[in-house]
Amino acid sequence: MQITKKEIPFMKYQGYLLILSLVLTIGSLILLFTHGLDFGIDFKGGIKLQYKFNTAVDSARIQEILEKALNEKVAVQQFGDPKGNMFAFDILKPSQGIEGFSARVTQALESELGAGSTTLVKEEAVGPKAGEELRRKGELAVIVAWILILVYIGYRFDFYFSPGAIVALIHDIIIALGAFAITGREINLTVLAAFLTIIGYSVNDTIIVYDRVRENLKKYKTLSIEELVNKSINETLSRTIVTSLTMFFVVVVLFIKGEGDIQDFAFAMIIGVITGTYSSIFIASPIYIFLKKHGHRFGLSSKQVSHR
Amino acid sequence: MSQSWRWKVYLTLFLALLSVYVLVPTFGRFNSLREAAEKTAAPLPWYVKLFPEKELNLGLDLRGGIYLELEVTVDEAINNRLDLMASEIARYLKEEKVEGVQADRIPKTYRIRVLLPNEAAKDKLLSHANDIYRGALVEERGQSELTYKSEEKDEARLQALYNELNTQLSGKAGVVDVERSSGSDLFRVVLKSGASPDEAKALIGSQFPSLKEATEPNKVIFQAVPSYVEKLRSDSVKQAVETIRNRIDRYGVAEPSIRQLGENRVVVELPGVTDPDRAIGIVKKAGKLEFKMVDESKNDEEVKTLVAEIRKEANIPEGFSEEIVNKINEAAKGKIPAEDEILFEIQRDPVTGKVVGGIPYLIKRKSEVTGDMLRAAQVSVQNNEPYVSLSFNAVGTKAFAEVTAANVGKRLAIILDGNVSKAPVIKSAIPSGEAQITLGYGNYDALLKEAEDLTLVLREGALPASLKEITKTVIGPSLGQSAIHQGLMAALIAGLTVVVFMILYYKLSGLIADLVLGLNVLLIMGCLALFQATLTLPGIAGIVLTMAMALDANILIFERIREELKAGKPVKAAVDAGFSNAWTAVVDTHITTFLSGIVLYQFGTGPIRGFAVTLMIGVLTTLFTAYLVTHLIYDYLTVKVKIKKVSI
Repeated sequence: MQITKKEIPFMKYQGYLLILSLVLTIGSLILLFTHGLDFGIDFKGGIKLQYKFNTAVDSARIQEILEKALNEKVAVQQFGDPKGNMFAFDILKPSQGIEGFSARVTQALESELGAGSTTLVKEEAVGPKAGEELRRKGELAVIVAWILILVYIGYRFDFYFSPGAIVALIHDIIIALGAFAITGREINLTVLAAFLTIIGYSVNDTIIVYDRVRENLKKYKTLSIEELVNKSINETLSRTIVTSLTMFFVVVVLFIKGEGDIQDFAFAMIIGVITGTYSSIFIASPIYIFLKKHGHRFGLSSKQVSHR
Repeated sequence: MSQSWRWKVYLTLFLALLSVYVLVPTFGRFNSLREAAEKTAAPLPWYVKLFPEKELNLGLDLRGGIYLELEVTVDEAINNRLDLMASEIARYLKEEKVEGVQADRIPKTYRIRVLLPNEAAKDKLLSHANDIYRGALVEERGQSELTYKSEEKDEARLQALYNELNTQLSGKAGVVDVERSSGSDLFRVVLKSGASPDEAKALIGSQFPSLKEATEPNKVIFQAVPSYVEKLRSDSVKQAVETIRNRIDRYGVAEPSIRQLGENRVVVELPGVTDPDRAIGIVKKAGKLEFKMVDESKNDEEVKTLVAEIRKEANIPEGFSEEIVNKINEAAKGKIPAEDEILFEIQRDPVTGKVVGGIPYLIKRKSEVTGDMLRAAQVSVQNNEPYVSLSFNAVGTKAFAEVTAANVGKRLAIILDGNVSKAPVIKSAIPSGEAQITLGYGNYDALLKEAEDLTLVLREGALPASLKEITKTVIGPSLGQSAIHQGLMAALIAGLTVVVFMILYYKLSGLIADLVLGLNVLLIMGCLALFQATLTLPGIAGIVLTMAMALDANILIFERIREELKAGKPVKAAVDAGFSNAWTAVVDTHITTFLSGIVLYQFGTGPIRGFAVTLMIGVLTTLFTAYLVTHLIYDYLTVKVKIKKVSI
């Protein structure tokens, strides 16, 4: 079983796809500014409680009970298997500090629904200071990862290659954020981890193409740069398809079978696998071609490609 | 085939066996075997001793438990120490027959103010301070506070003047605070260290011309030495960590982890705790224990009315949190003696534990005795009534004897973390350093438990600084179980899909890749167990991701071999070329992944770190398995078996 190889002129479609990418990125950016992102308690500070009820309950009623008892705004959401009667309560930035909420919630629920009718399965409380800190650290992590990768590619390849990889990364992250904005999914620590993984994956994919370009630069001295890049993309295409599909299988399975954090992670990764694969061909490669052709105007040296 | 193949085989076998060896306790559930053996006093099966003691560390999200991040409020510890020094100074001077001494810490600074009756006392004090507090306190020689006198005699106008001074001056011209005692016409303007007094003088002179600057000739101000303050700071955090550790050990949690984080934070991880509220209560209650006198100049009803008035006036809501109590005290300034504060005894419903009210007390700010002077505390039962008995160390005995002797009939408040726990009446002087706290009447079991928990807190000598929750995660044990189950199921299904796909797509080579992948997972788990790293739910996701990455390495190699075969190379040459041509791509992708792993580890917390760890270990084991093991198998097939066709 093999994927048939007929050279596909990827770079010919570059123009259309550039428009697609622009539409997606700008659309995502607009969504980010209009809808905004739903930062969870991890980054905002607050309390997330998960309770399991013995019998089916109405989420509106629970919300009423809790808001009355706590005097705070409570978001109630059922999750997991519908028969599991599992509910999550989010209290963002409570005005009374983060301490001692679970006891009050348990008491309020039990006094309304009967003792032993519910159990606390998970409680997360993040102080506002800690939330801010996590957010700052998260942003820093993404930026540091970008810089490290930029430098690494600059070192292993040359600086004609790095910008393409970084723009591809930014493209992927913006679209992933857009997907979170449009679906209203919460951004929490796990999702942040997924974003960093997307960065890793996207750069992996780009490197595979770049690696082949680097190799072919030695082999085919007469080809134009477009032809050379196109050839390299085609040569790595079967690998790209096979790897992307396996990755895709894995994250889709995690998405379907997983719950909560794992599902959030998998959702981000599904977007990341698609955009990561796409961007190495249609973002990173064209930028490389552009810089190779016009780079001298921006002061990029025409240093020999290193072949380490 | 190169000569080194033997070593490669040995190395691979060794690592695989080592991994199996360190993982046997985990999969054999040796911990539960041990527990069962302990319970029934039966001997352990003989093979248990052959293997390592520790199982693979499971993260809190997989086994259930508590993660707490606490901030140590170090300023409180420093204030507390200065309070103690102030009372010690007053006590010393009294022993030296100097009457009319007043020694207090100045709020919002690290200073102590001593008011003396005459010049002779000053010499005595300075030489005493030089003996006892060298390196801790120095006399402040510059003008660090200004004193003003008003000619106004009317209390209400004085209070209004004080409020005006406070709002006009605080934060300006180096002014830290303005002080006034009720009934006094003296105002003290406290300045920042090193601030020039001229600016403040000019400001007050222009805005409050009615105030006359006054002198207090027999006043000594001590400033805490910065290096000493620093040491107190770091000591109080260290002590917090130690005390929490001791307390948790007594509480009996298996494998707790308590460590310092950054400058003033403590991280507490308690796996497998089933009663989180009680556990957190014990960690947190590990707060500051002080004994302070109740100011009896106002009776309870008056204090109650005063507090109700203050709440109404300053619009402070019901409640007894630290924040609210601070607000009440801020608003009470000038209405109560400057050396006093208002604290509450919180009343709880004995059954539900819910806060139902609080009794306000007017308390002298100065702590007479602190938790670190306690030698022991234990629960005793007499006439079916549990009580706590305390005994003090030498310093504590002396201090306790003095305070009880001087205040018979008055109440001594026991203050835990700024809340009055009990304010028993001092029935007689207690010179022996042995005291009893009775807990009153109520449900025997509840009282006993309360006494036990209180004793647990008292026993270590209370923490000098209190703790504030920064983040908390509590995961019920059932959730942990289902998380393991779910994570493993997802990983298995994802793994199986990939395994089947590889065999379909790459045939025999796919099978080889799958086998090596199995080895890879074994090595990752082995590394986790060997280095006692922690496996978390995102960690499982990390393993799955590593599997995908390992396959990517194999796919890269296989695609290369296919290309070389197509180009017409013989089998052995094609395989070798495939491996060596794919090398740069494989290494570059793995190093970038490793880099993101490092970043994740650096910036992440708890579960995320678990993900980063498995990712980084996975990168290394993948490079090892893909290049050493897979290559070895192909070498064997092409050189020893001399296959003519590669099934790829």
